[in-house]
Amino acid sequence: MTTGYAIVLASGELERIMAVSNIAAVAAASEVPVDIFATMEGLEAFDRQTVADRSWEGGPIAEAMLSHGDVEVPLFTESFERAKELGPLSLYACELSMDLMDRTLSDYVDLFDDVLGVSGFLTKAQDKQVIFV
Amino acid sequence: MSESQTQADVTIDSRGAGCPGPLMDLIGKIKSADPGTVFELQTTDSSSKNDVPEWVEKANHEVLEIVDHDDYWSIFVEKS
Repeated sequence: MTTGYAIVLASGELERIMAVSNIAAVAAASEVPVDIFATMEGLEAFDRQTVADRSWEGGPIAEAMLSHGDVEVPLFTESFERAKELGPLSLYACELSMDLMDRTLSDYVDLFDDVLGVSGFLTKAQDKQVIFV
Repeated sequence: MSESQTQADVTIDSRGAGCPGPLMDLIGKIKSADPGTVFELQTTDSSSKNDVPEWVEKANHEVLEIVDHDDYWSIFVEKS
């Protein structure tokens, strides 16, 4: 029996990251454990400068989310931060991606619980339903 | 447009917020509330009208009433 979700976030497209943050936030706030493994471009989306510049890639939905308009849509960083306060949500940064880009955890916004390799993530994921985005 | 018959202890104004903002606002407040507390969640997000009751039922709380104010909805929820 699975006890939550393990989400591999490999995409840097804003609309995909936002979808992950929304689903993960509601799940965690409902006491469903969620572990997120941010890897490849999905990790670079959390780069402090990228977040400050709001310079993500994305399609028309992403543009609509960023331009707000009549509907307030919280940024994924805000959704993750709030969800971590409300329930069992953990974010992990991929060690390989960080090594490739010569990064440290301080290069990313303050959301990550730890740095993990693939084995570490698979251990976290072994009792969870894995979703790849 | 209809008027509510329900008296809320706590009003949460989530008007203008998109999904799942209103639901997250409700969850944030309901977690720390005493059992029996009645919330009025105000939302302009039509999907929340369906999504919030779904969550409320799953979390074993109770939707008391949904009031259509034409330009927003009030969802009354009692914490179990």
